[in-house]
Amino acid sequence: MNVLCLFAGPGLILGEIPIFAMLLSMEDYDYLFKIVLIGNAGVGKTCLVRRFTQGLFPPGQGATIGVDFMIKTVEIKGQKIKLQIWDTAGQERFRSITQSYYRSANALILTYDITCEDSFRCLPEWLREIEQYANNKVVTVLVGNKIDLAERREVSRQRAEEFSEAQSMHYLETSAKESDNVEKLFLDLACELIREAKQNALVNNEASPMPGEGKTISYLNCCSFS
Amino acid sequence: MAADNLPTEFDVVILGTGLAESVIAAACSRVGQRVLHIDRRNYYAGNWASFTFNGLLAWIQEYKEQQKATDSDEGWREKLEEGEEPLLLNSVDTSISNLQVFCYASEEPEEEEEEVATPVTIPTLQNPAPPTEEGDTQEHQVEGERAQEEQTTPTEGDTAQTGEPALPNPEVKKRRITYAKILKEGRRFNIDLVSKLLYSQGSLVNLLIKSNVSRYAEFKNISRILTYRNGKVEQVPCSRADVFGSKQLTVVEKRMLMKFLTFCLDYEQHPEEYLDFTERSFWEFLQTKKLTENLQHFVLHSIAMVTPGTHTGEGLRATQHFLRCLGRYGNTPFLFPLYGMGEIPQCFCRMCAVFGGIYCLRHSVQCLVLDKESGRCKAVIDTCGQRISCSHFVVEEGYIREEQRRGVAYRQISRAVLITDRSLLPSETEQQISLLIELCSSSMTCMPGTYLVHLTCPSSGTAQEDLAPVVSRLFTEPTSAEEQGEVGSEKPTLLWVLYFNMRDSSGVDKSSYSLPSNVYLCTGPDPALGSEHAITLAETVFQQLLPDEEFCPPAPNPEDIVYDGEVPQGEGAGFGEPVQPEINEEEQITESEQDNEGSQTDVAAQIPTPAPPTEE
Repeated sequence: MNVLCLFAGPGLILGEIPIFAMLLSMEDYDYLFKIVLIGNAGVGKTCLVRRFTQGLFPPGQGATIGVDFMIKTVEIKGQKIKLQIWDTAGQERFRSITQSYYRSANALILTYDITCEDSFRCLPEWLREIEQYANNKVVTVLVGNKIDLAERREVSRQRAEEFSEAQSMHYLETSAKESDNVEKLFLDLACELIREAKQNALVNNEASPMPGEGKTISYLNCCSFS
Repeated sequence: MAADNLPTEFDVVILGTGLAESVIAAACSRVGQRVLHIDRRNYYAGNWASFTFNGLLAWIQEYKEQQKATDSDEGWREKLEEGEEPLLLNSVDTSISNLQVFCYASEEPEEEEEEVATPVTIPTLQNPAPPTEEGDTQEHQVEGERAQEEQTTPTEGDTAQTGEPALPNPEVKKRRITYAKILKEGRRFNIDLVSKLLYSQGSLVNLLIKSNVSRYAEFKNISRILTYRNGKVEQVPCSRADVFGSKQLTVVEKRMLMKFLTFCLDYEQHPEEYLDFTERSFWEFLQTKKLTENLQHFVLHSIAMVTPGTHTGEGLRATQHFLRCLGRYGNTPFLFPLYGMGEIPQCFCRMCAVFGGIYCLRHSVQCLVLDKESGRCKAVIDTCGQRISCSHFVVEEGYIREEQRRGVAYRQISRAVLITDRSLLPSETEQQISLLIELCSSSMTCMPGTYLVHLTCPSSGTAQEDLAPVVSRLFTEPTSAEEQGEVGSEKPTLLWVLYFNMRDSSGVDKSSYSLPSNVYLCTGPDPALGSEHAITLAETVFQQLLPDEEFCPPAPNPEDIVYDGEVPQGEGAGFGEPVQPEINEEEQITESEQDNEGSQTDVAAQIPTPAPPTEE
């Protein structure tokens, strides 16, 4: 595995790709999925990621500086699933998320705050962005976070369920603080992604590439070579 | 969220999200500067952007309406203090001109059923099967080909192309792809405003790798390079395998070409071969190298990609660069980012944001606040009338007002964007100095069943005058195709065409502008195939801003950070109830010690030591 060092530095040279592909097949996971979080600022996206990957809450201010995405490998039915979980890097604050953030995501977690009507009302706007920029095969989950603050709830569960059903999304309510449903969220998602991946493997003879089919220049994201 | 106000103190404020600005933003943020990065547009990348088809239509509309100026508001005046003076910025972008659109695709409403019934329909409309054309078998490779056109003067007196293409005739029937279809599938297009490729050993690729920004994008190889010669489009043999596999070359030619290319790879070692020619042109030099005319053409136009008048030294350098780029990632020296070139500036913006940069589109600066005494810019006043202090201000050239750029002589770039129904396949262009890039749907820039073709050249007239002759030589306008009964034409048929000129400010010297010393200018895209200019510019600006800092050191690898954070934590992340089939937490312990040159440590240090997991 330490041969991977080769690719982190600037010294890529002729003829590396084959070695590279070989290495990937030796990677210690069966699947790699890119999961991307979106939703208004302050709904608890970072908390969800931190809770899941590190078991931490609150994640601590400023701790995300320089952290691009978090990784957690889980095992489901004997298969090792590596989840790469991407956060918005604060670009949602002024509605300025780069399109490239959505590209090649296998799954999107669209998050709102059940105690904040406004964050729920913005969902259609987020869906428009998804439709514009994300792969059309992307799996989307709607998450209502902060159920630990049930007494301040502004968005009823039923409303959210109706909305998610109309958009054919999965729906889940979570609390990053109490760790309610956080594991379930990511693990259900992983199961769903495996199912999709298996299906695609069967019918995948189309011209348009799947996310991850292009090559990254360095070694990350190259799961699809194996 | 519009209510959220921008913070009011930054080290660097950057206006414009083109490639150079975005690289500077990432570089500054990476070394700890507080960066505010804004753009007046509602999309990233300025003139480097890529659009969906519908997005492009909106863009065209916007420029046709010549965006109205909105800076009548004088509210900024009261934000000025004693001893300060304003420097106003432009609120209208004038860098795009001569927009012209021709639609050849049928405007009939799309009727799915009828379409299916039409015998000529390619069976790929709904089902994105691979384009079935002959040459398309290199699976998963961008079938992007770039044609080097002959750079000789267009002596063939092409009077047929009067630069006045036949008016679009909406009567064309039964086109396989209707305009409605293109609109409907509009989001599958990612149409670049600047058409560029990445040299696989070029400064952009090296920067992407060095900074780890490459992890935000995916790339494909350009699969072949074509050239147009004597009315035929041919594939240029450029790799060793190509040369030996080529059917167009004789055995003798193959040997000659290999010998010559091998020489070029380290030509500096053999000065005796070319010293006599340093004052003469590369073309003359080639003629003495025992290459057949065929080969001379390949080398000059398709490998060195220079004009015949280019000096020998430069021609050799270009050839060497091409050869060195070969084989790094594939059989041609070029890479193309999936979803278009507009992704690249955004990747750098993401890096900037990850390190704390603040982003705000649809937001601009009305004026700079200059200190009368020092003449330096100490703050900016944004379009909401808010005063934001900064030590440095970086701005895209297009925001600068006339008063500050007197005497600046711009060049122009001519661009054409074509949507066609099939590949140029075995065929390519000629004549003129334009670059042609053809992209297929697997580059994620157009819908299945179509090809996206970009033409670019330095302008001598309007884009249409410059490029329409090339277009009509290589492509069929449906009106004439109909006369020929459609079968006869081997050329791809045009579905939709856009011409426009873009201002090329890349050659303008900074001294032509009267700007404060801590205001840095980023010029727009240049017409070259690579992005060398923008990267060099970004690095230069960065070094002026922060002379003691490293330019884009590698960002830490997230796997390493997680590793550091998780070690003391052990297994106890608390997979509570057995919601799922058996779950085992797999610590992300990568044994690999990626050489991030120590940078991982300083970031890891910012991660709070993990508290013991709260078990429920």
